[in-house]
Amino acid sequence: MQAQVSRTIRLTLPPVRWNRTGWRTVRLPTYFLLGLVLLELGTRAVGGRFERYAPDDYAERVAGCVAVRPNLLVVGGSPVAEGIDPAHLKGLTRNGTPLDSVYALGLSGATSTDVYHAVLRAAPMPPKLIVYGLTATDWNDARNEPHGTYSLMTGDDVVTCRSIRPDAAGWVTRHYLEGRLARVSAVFRLRNGIRLWAAVQADAIWPGCAPEALREAREQSAYGDALRAGVGYAPAAWFVHRRYDRAKAAGDPGPPFGFLDKYRTGSHLKYVDKLVAWGKAHQTEVILLDMPVTADLEARYASAFADYRSRLAAVEASGVPVIRATREAVGLGDEDFADVVHLNGGGAAKLSAWLRARLAGDRP
Amino acid sequence: VIFTTKAFLIFLPVVLVGYHLLAGRAWKFRFLLLASWTFYALCSPRYLWVILLLTAVDFVVARRIEDAPDPRRKKRWLVLSVAANLGLLAGFKYAPFACDTVTSLARLAGADVPDRAWSLLLPLGISFHTFQGIGYTIDVYTGRTRAVRSFVDYALFVAFFPQLAAGPIVRAAEFLPQMVTPPKVSASQVSDGLHLVLIGLAKKLFIADWLDQLVVSPVFGDPAAWDPAAHRWAALAWAVQIYCDFSGYSDIACGLAKWFGFELPLNFNLPYLATSIADFWRRWHLSFSTWLRDYLYFPLGGSRCGPVRADANLLLVFVLCGLWHGAAWNWVAYGLLHGLAMIAHRTFDHAVKGIAWADRLRATIAWQILGWAATMAVHVAGLVIVRMPTWGAGFAILQSFVPDGSSGSLLGGLPIWVPLLIGMGMTGHLAALFPRGYVKGSHEVFAVMKGLAYAGLVAVLSCFGPGVGKSFIYIQF
Repeated sequence: MQAQVSRTIRLTLPPVRWNRTGWRTVRLPTYFLLGLVLLELGTRAVGGRFERYAPDDYAERVAGCVAVRPNLLVVGGSPVAEGIDPAHLKGLTRNGTPLDSVYALGLSGATSTDVYHAVLRAAPMPPKLIVYGLTATDWNDARNEPHGTYSLMTGDDVVTCRSIRPDAAGWVTRHYLEGRLARVSAVFRLRNGIRLWAAVQADAIWPGCAPEALREAREQSAYGDALRAGVGYAPAAWFVHRRYDRAKAAGDPGPPFGFLDKYRTGSHLKYVDKLVAWGKAHQTEVILLDMPVTADLEARYASAFADYRSRLAAVEASGVPVIRATREAVGLGDEDFADVVHLNGGGAAKLSAWLRARLAGDRP
Repeated sequence: VIFTTKAFLIFLPVVLVGYHLLAGRAWKFRFLLLASWTFYALCSPRYLWVILLLTAVDFVVARRIEDAPDPRRKKRWLVLSVAANLGLLAGFKYAPFACDTVTSLARLAGADVPDRAWSLLLPLGISFHTFQGIGYTIDVYTGRTRAVRSFVDYALFVAFFPQLAAGPIVRAAEFLPQMVTPPKVSASQVSDGLHLVLIGLAKKLFIADWLDQLVVSPVFGDPAAWDPAAHRWAALAWAVQIYCDFSGYSDIACGLAKWFGFELPLNFNLPYLATSIADFWRRWHLSFSTWLRDYLYFPLGGSRCGPVRADANLLLVFVLCGLWHGAAWNWVAYGLLHGLAMIAHRTFDHAVKGIAWADRLRATIAWQILGWAATMAVHVAGLVIVRMPTWGAGFAILQSFVPDGSSGSLLGGLPIWVPLLIGMGMTGHLAALFPRGYVKGSHEVFAVMKGLAYAGLVAVLSCFGPGVGKSFIYIQF
């Protein structure tokens, strides 16, 4: 009997007596937690000034798109963010309908899964036309974008995603929870903005004390302003002015590219079907735009592009319109790219003008 | 799952709440042991068997030593324990070094030997828990402590997670008496624990990691690209970095232990105020230096034998001290340097002790400052030796401390934050130089101020830390 009793796990609350000794035990942690709460409240109250230096580009672009309420929405990953200038598309008439407001919702790193959820969040008023600019990277199931999971998805979206894409169920759940957890604290979420804001303040008092942080603060601030004020085209100076042909000749082809490694398709692709279905349900025409990439990238990942193009052909055969913006069709060379996959300023202007002509001339 | 990771932020509250909710000594300690083994398995999943095996061996051996009827049998059991611990330590830590050394010697002799094609990952905390196990069985052998009869108690003594990865190396006589009754957490343990954990995190995340990113890694990575002023700052920054990194870990370990009601021994006592090399080793990594003294230096005869033998003992102890830190010739050189410095100090001390004018001179502040400068020179030189990328680069960095008449910028192109961070790292040392005039009280207003200050520190660490998670240096040892 005695042995049985000793094996019973007993859970008890610690015997804290609320006398002076009990209070002394917990008072420092209590004041510590109180201090954290005060800091949290203070940060939330003035969070805007920190957010200016650390814009969440997914959230800013979605908010910008909601504000513009475009009737032409160009959506996609970073090739769209850097390669489509909505200014060239504004005012085009398609099938007799003028598309006078345009927004480019280019989300760096986004896959088709992220693009679908971005459209859900950014288009409460469904546009007349959605052009989804995509390339092989959008359908690579070996990669997922954590930013999209916690920035664009709701709890319901996660549940749906788990059933549609069982291969990514664990990953999506973990990153969604991690992202939500990280956003519980404004101090933690805005830590980079606070650091850059402090660098600006410190520089005002002591010029030159943190030059790198100050430069970063200015860049981030300008980027944030461009995202909020514009129509989604806010390329970094690096992309606008860099020329892939010259960089390649100088032996600097750009940062390493691993977005097509371990290429396999099928899972993200299901969200293209969902996007098309969403378009039909909302009387929104959905067109897929096969974005141009450099010949070097296509050669390096020949089998990945072959797989992607056969999938794209199958989607087209199912009745989804596809525009193929090949380098030859648009008239692009290495001089129009910033790196292997992104267009530079000149290339973006060429592609956007070409796309305007195609959209204006196309018939469903 | 080490202290500065997000995973630890989940692990710690779960273990703390579970531990304090459970009633009774047995369930608390079982739970804490399970948590500690889980911690080990998460950090070093392949090698859980190492700590389990050594724990079982030392537990059984200690009981056999105590129960053995004659000294010869006791000794045999002790040899088994020491051999098991040192055997695994040598196998994991020194086998690659020994292989490389043999390869180099063979090549010198003209043999065509290929490079080593294998490597070994070091099990978590093996340098620490093996020494803890050896210390325990020696203590039982010498009768300084009784063998533990409960496996859970002994296993928890070895695996207690706050000190598992990088010490302090706890003695059985310090820890096991605290387990007789379930430790109750006092008010001072709660507040002191919070203080130590946050100060430790600040030392590690703010000072050590920033110094590493701003100056130590860039300059030691490519010394030729930097001028002598940068070399000097890098050497000083490295000394502050390693202190803040390791003492930061020890502070966090002691602070966490307090939240479970345990007290761990002090590991640092303002080492950069040492005025002699012997004084330095009475302040730096105390749990290790006293272990070497009690379990190696004294059994070798210590200073009770003749002066030559005593010097040889010192040199051996310090070479082994160097090798314990890392299996590399740099660490052997580090040990030799400190051993020779200790011998020089001992010889000088014996020569002048008792001479009236010399004793008066050695009591002056000027002499203390001279002693401090010499001690720091040896320490910094030793640290440069273990961090230098090549012997030539190390020599160039050390040479930068010798004035050559050339004029250059004060900071050598480094950011202004470097001297500020070095100063912050030494704040505790500087404060100790002045009389303790601060008010220490239990008044409510102090608790409020401390609580708010700690919250502010958390915010500062969150916003201004380098943001790149770096491992604690001593975990690699």
